[in-house]
Amino acid sequence: MRSMSRRNFLKAASAGGVVAGSGLATTLGGFAARAADTSGYRALVCVFLKGGLDCHDTLFPYDTSSYNQYTNIRPTLLSSYQAMDGGSTRERARLLELNPLNAADYGSRAFALPEEFSGIHNLFESGHASIASNVGPLIRPMDRNTYNTSSSDRPSKLFSHNDQQSTWMALAPEGVRFGWGGRFADAALGSNANANPVFTSISVSGNEVFLSGETAFQYQLDSKGAQVVNALENANLLGSGRDSSLALSLLDEHLRDGASGSLFQQDVASVTARAIDSNALFNDTLEAAAPLATAFPNSGLGSKLSRVAKAIAARGPLGASRQVFYVDTGGFDTHSNQARSLPGLQRQIDEAVSAFYAATEELGVENDVTLFTASDFGRTLIINGDGTDHGWGGHHLIVGGAVNGQRIFGDVPPPTVDHSQDSGRGRLIPTMSVEQFAAPLGRWFGLSEGELLTALPRLSNFSSAPLIV
Amino acid sequence: MPFISYLSEARPAQRITRGVRASTIIKTLSAVAGLALAGCSDGGGDAESGIAGSSLNWPTEEQAGQFLVQSTFGPSGNETTSLVDQGISSWLLAEFEKPESFFTARVRSRQITEDREDRSAPSDVFWESAVVGEDQLRLRMAYALSQILVVSNANGSPLQNEPLALAFYMDILTRNAFGNYRDLLEEVTYSPAMAMYLTYLRNRKANPSSGSVPDENYAREIMQLFTIGLVELGRDGLPAPGAQETYTNEDVVGLAKVFTGLSHDGGFWGGDAVDGWEYERLVVYPEHHSEAEKSFLGLTIPAGTGPEESIDRALDQLVNHPNTGPFIARQLIQRLVTSNPQPAYVERVATAFETGETRLPNDTIVGDGRRGDLRATIAAILIDPQARQDPSSVPDDFGKVREPVLRFIHWARAFNVDSARAQEERFLDDTSDVDRLGQHPFRSRSVFNFYRPGYVAPGTQSGGAGLSGPELQITNESTVVGYINTMTQFVRDDTPNESGASGAAFRPNYAPELELADDPQALVNQLNRKLTYGRMRAATRERIISVLNEIPIRSDRADEDRETRVQTAVLMAVTSPAFIVQQ
Repeated sequence: MRSMSRRNFLKAASAGGVVAGSGLATTLGGFAARAADTSGYRALVCVFLKGGLDCHDTLFPYDTSSYNQYTNIRPTLLSSYQAMDGGSTRERARLLELNPLNAADYGSRAFALPEEFSGIHNLFESGHASIASNVGPLIRPMDRNTYNTSSSDRPSKLFSHNDQQSTWMALAPEGVRFGWGGRFADAALGSNANANPVFTSISVSGNEVFLSGETAFQYQLDSKGAQVVNALENANLLGSGRDSSLALSLLDEHLRDGASGSLFQQDVASVTARAIDSNALFNDTLEAAAPLATAFPNSGLGSKLSRVAKAIAARGPLGASRQVFYVDTGGFDTHSNQARSLPGLQRQIDEAVSAFYAATEELGVENDVTLFTASDFGRTLIINGDGTDHGWGGHHLIVGGAVNGQRIFGDVPPPTVDHSQDSGRGRLIPTMSVEQFAAPLGRWFGLSEGELLTALPRLSNFSSAPLIV
Repeated sequence: MPFISYLSEARPAQRITRGVRASTIIKTLSAVAGLALAGCSDGGGDAESGIAGSSLNWPTEEQAGQFLVQSTFGPSGNETTSLVDQGISSWLLAEFEKPESFFTARVRSRQITEDREDRSAPSDVFWESAVVGEDQLRLRMAYALSQILVVSNANGSPLQNEPLALAFYMDILTRNAFGNYRDLLEEVTYSPAMAMYLTYLRNRKANPSSGSVPDENYAREIMQLFTIGLVELGRDGLPAPGAQETYTNEDVVGLAKVFTGLSHDGGFWGGDAVDGWEYERLVVYPEHHSEAEKSFLGLTIPAGTGPEESIDRALDQLVNHPNTGPFIARQLIQRLVTSNPQPAYVERVATAFETGETRLPNDTIVGDGRRGDLRATIAAILIDPQARQDPSSVPDDFGKVREPVLRFIHWARAFNVDSARAQEERFLDDTSDVDRLGQHPFRSRSVFNFYRPGYVAPGTQSGGAGLSGPELQITNESTVVGYINTMTQFVRDDTPNESGASGAAFRPNYAPELELADDPQALVNQLNRKLTYGRMRAATRERIISVLNEIPIRSDRADEDRETRVQTAVLMAVTSPAFIVQQ
């Protein structure tokens, strides 16, 4: 880690907002936990790229010398790109050069994004996005030497999809019960940030441990909205011309009844009860909110982020001042056919994230909403023919008006193997831990230092925690 | 048959007699008198868990229903009473001999007759076979295996538009469901579907000039998911004290060399231009296979070993690993019986996997004595004292949330739906969406299946008690409602066909229930027997009866009102806790 400034993701709170982060920490440092700043509105949006995004095929070396090293190490993959209709979008001339404000940190090295990321490139260049490089699970700082000599300091179950997803989301392999998004939501709930706690932690992509806290449940939507029990809405259920409020209330009781049942029966009944109580309210509230003019792409990720934007638009009536959202999209496990599949996936991310940022601008909350990407792991720099295998550290986006933008945080390792952050075949040993990545997001969200340590217990293993400027 | 009242809270007295051999006379006696005598020479009772020895072979009607929920897609017709007559041992032996429902031929004939590539053809065959197929245990086992040895034709999968390759893969699982795990794993390894799904089709040896190395995908997942898992296990399926991770990345790199040089017959590159490649075993191309030394898991395959021998030795090494028995045993138990098997249960099943033999309660030995015998394994799972605990007195941690696909099929079987034409039922093309079942056969999002065996649901009672609940991973505010709404439409025969009109192919036959519609209590008893093997809770039964009483039978519209009563009662039964959670 070369300089502290490269880890400062987020600017100070916008004018009129409270001073967050270090200021808050200084003020409240002597107090016990449970002191989250809940003023104004803040939302975090995790976009999880399932399968392991190839970091080496997303953030490109751009200076001629590095670019040539890169093409020398991936010849057959780049040939596959050349064979695609329209030629290779990985040609140097077609890459979109980044002009980071911290370019000096990288000396003569330069970086670029693929043309599929044109919208994100614009966000970066206009200061609304940054890149956190070589982020991933760590127990404590590690390099090639300690990786080889101190296996007990390696995060467990490296390179395994489910376990590394879990470690990104919840700092431990599969089976862990609380994620850092859920812990952030716990802090907000502990400070009574939200009038209706149900809408604090929202997934548009199924059950994921990222959003689970001790008090925060994850509320589930799908891209079509919240599901409503038709039988409870439809008096016709009892036959034409019949309307029995007694029957409907008995059916309602029946669907939510897990009392005296087994633990599993109680669990299913609890979820059903939450659905009955919250889904209709959620839909009605969203319908009452002003429609969004921003058009979202007609993709899976587009419709999921559109749903998040609509929920944010209804934040007032939903009684939410702190929210954590989770969406995901898959297909990134590009062992094969990478040239055919990855560019389309990147375009999908680009269009959806760009639309989402535009929607936050439309809603006037672009400084109050921060989106970031995460993924199982990066991938090998060495190729297996037409694809790449499981890696470790990867590069990620942070998008929003509060982001300390137009920067490449961290350390981007060189496009070679056997350097000090290579665990083999270009599987990068992270230089920024998930905790270091998450901490500024938590401070910005309003967590006190005590709450941050509850959410990210290993944070103290790493050099001075990042500060918000 | 003695009638067992499903409304009675009291259980008939259990008579546990150790060491008495089953015989026709005893069977007849037990059937006539309601006595249940143990037929298990190796100790049927288990004082520790209060297990009735009788149920190991001669179940009561309730116990038979419980057994069939574990071993089939749900009891249909008179299967429960006939199991009571037949006994579990004979039932298992009969299932082992039934001819199997195959997929490929039916998908092929469908494509030929309808001239279309239909992504849903394999699952259409599955829906139909699961509902009306005779080989219930075999198909249930194949379906369980499809959630361990996972391939998927979900959107974006290389199999998305390869229904024949998926159908052939299902035939491999079906044909080997009572075979041997080692043979099964070999057929899986040489299958076009798995090779495409885990990207080792046309995988090549390292090329020093381009720097390309073998694809590691299958090498990693065959260890992590299909055989040994990530952590050293005891035979009871728990991590051994001081357990280490089972393999390192170097093992993956070593094993990856084994799975090189495989492609379709008819050409390494162009083999898929030959008709029928989808259902032809892959062949080896030695020129593309790694000649290097291959080291993994303590085995070194010498340099120069050819592809078939390398694969043989690798699969032997994996299946012979001490983890494989408990790893596979525990997951099969979870698919069929309970999410949190006692360690001793896992150990008994793992032992059956390893010894290749299981002694049935009637003393018949099943399995050929070879490690990996799946006949012995499935028998051990189903006759185990933990599986056969009396459903009226099971501990709280026993059982599992039934996945939505199984619940739906049980409903279809209970009411003898006309299922001959699943392809005409639009909902059944894809039940993955959360506003349907949130799950579709052979269509999980990844090789990690719909849910993980170790999933602990956050923020739940079961999670707080440290229980795994795999199916809770797909249980959320969207999917619970999707299930209720989808079942509402099926139960009311209100699902759209392929052109959008309602009243499609899966039409329930409620004739026996309509006979009982004037007597809500009798109707509820009937549903309790068909759907919840007598375990429907009193509160559920009372609510159903109260709701039915809100639907009086009008003399001028009696048929319509009776139908409404039945549909309402069925909907409440299939959304009841006793139906959603099996115990």
